[in-house]
Amino acid sequence: MSAALNVGDRLPEWSLPITPTLVVSTAIATRDFQDVHHDRDIAQAAGSKDIFVNILTSTALCERYVTDWAGPDVQIRGIAIRLGAPAYPYDTFTFTGEVTEVEDGVATIKVVGAVSLGDHVIGTVKVAA
Amino acid sequence: MSAHEQQALVDAAVHEKVMAEAERIKGWGEAAERVARDEVNQPTINNWLEAMGLDNPRFTAGEAPPSMAQVWTMYGLGGKPSEDDPLHSMMRVLTDAGFTAVLGTNCEQSYDRYLQVGERVRVTTALDSVVGPKATGMGIGYFVTSRNTWYVGEERVATMLFRVLKFIPHAKADA
Repeated sequence: MSAALNVGDRLPEWSLPITPTLVVSTAIATRDFQDVHHDRDIAQAAGSKDIFVNILTSTALCERYVTDWAGPDVQIRGIAIRLGAPAYPYDTFTFTGEVTEVEDGVATIKVVGAVSLGDHVIGTVKVAA
Repeated sequence: MSAHEQQALVDAAVHEKVMAEAERIKGWGEAAERVARDEVNQPTINNWLEAMGLDNPRFTAGEAPPSMAQVWTMYGLGGKPSEDDPLHSMMRVLTDAGFTAVLGTNCEQSYDRYLQVGERVRVTTALDSVVGPKATGMGIGYFVTSRNTWYVGEERVATMLFRVLKFIPHAKADA
């Protein structure tokens, strides 16, 4: 894959249903036990519509999206994300991405993970090119 | 934003206190060092791979997914930051000043290399900046940025800038 990254390359769109199981299993797998990621009563009492995806998972899904496209040998140098709309169960992630820069052996891939409320995560993933 | 406009958002004495505390806590540098409960280990990696739906043979052959760097030093169920943790301390200053709500806004991780099963990481926390007050869609608040640095022995393996908005929710401000 290393020679194949060019500015303007687009990643195929990826959809991921956001189930309660996804929210809870990813929160626990990232060792994030904050109650708003697994207890709907507490999340709603705190003003949220429901439990919601945690930040470590937003980052991890950017890692998965780029890895699924670039292949298992990709060397990820960094993932920088800005957080927007919350990701609630029964919504769907739609990930899109594009290579925006290839310089000094590093490719920058812009990744957006949208939900029905807007962009949940806007990120840049840097990989060895 | 001019000093005058800032004053309109937050009482000048409150703002001065917040910024003075921010300077004091920034002065601690990399602090509150913690060692991961466990070594980088395959069962924890496997749980993460299953939850994320990521299938990469490298991660069953000795390497750990890079974005798991933070996972190894999470506090765990019932764990809490220490009293001398710079982020925790700054959050407490702002909570006490009425900025009770918190929202994560940015997370920027850099990986020097992938971790290996059997390595044990440690992490430090530093307060990087406190910026505000700002009138945001969520309410009036300050952006608090902390910096985590992960090490194996003396070798830096990953860093993270984490920014939160610590704010007065609209409902409270209107009440």
